[in-house]
Amino acid sequence: MLIQLLTNKYPGMRLWLSQRLSALMMAAYILLLVLLLAIYQPASYSDWHKFVAPIWFRLVTFVFFISLFMHAWLGVSDVFKDYIFNLKLRAYLQAIVDILLVTYLIWASFILWNI
Amino acid sequence: MQKISTKNKNRPKNLNLFTIRLPINAVVSILHRASGMALFAMLPLLLLALQYSLKSQQSYTQLEALFDTWFIKLVLIGLAWAFFHHFFAGLRHLLQDIHWMTSLQKARFSGRVVLWLVGISVAIFAVVIW
Repeated sequence: MLIQLLTNKYPGMRLWLSQRLSALMMAAYILLLVLLLAIYQPASYSDWHKFVAPIWFRLVTFVFFISLFMHAWLGVSDVFKDYIFNLKLRAYLQAIVDILLVTYLIWASFILWNI
Repeated sequence: MQKISTKNKNRPKNLNLFTIRLPINAVVSILHRASGMALFAMLPLLLLALQYSLKSQQSYTQLEALFDTWFIKLVLIGLAWAFFHHFFAGLRHLLQDIHWMTSLQKARFSGRVVLWLVGISVAIFAVVIW
């Protein structure tokens, strides 16, 4: 049933599910982050640097960013589909958002890899 | 089944934004969308702040001084509102996806709960950063 829903027959279902899964991943990360911040309370540069530096933390943060940009892509696409009726204009705007989000992903990985 | 006519141009309709009163579910829903767009618009600034906070001791201190200005604090409170609304209203949508509290009465109640949680969270955030 679920497999059938996720095949090419219903492409919208994959988008729908991706939006929910990325939301859950982000919610879990945010809760973890708030918990860790409450425990360690980094208040200086060296504390903050030490807080972010562990490789596992950078990895989960990277997964968070992937979820965030996926989620943003799905949400913004939905808004465009709802309000922008000129297909050509919509395609241009969508392309700008695509480029922006890919740039953000590269940027985020650059930040996390250069700590 | 009654055929829905799209040809009847004389149907009464009201698109006057000043007289439309949105029910609470619609308010929570449209704010979820608006806060999502606001968060999307703020993404580059957030990445920039993350980058500067980690680059060097000097850039960290500069960022700290910037975050200490009242204008930036107001922006942060606005951002916090967008985040908390999107977070709590999003959780509500996820719970509705698994058919939790979907009757009109219960949905109205959970909508009010979301608005209260957002208000309380933003107030706590504002007190903590100020």
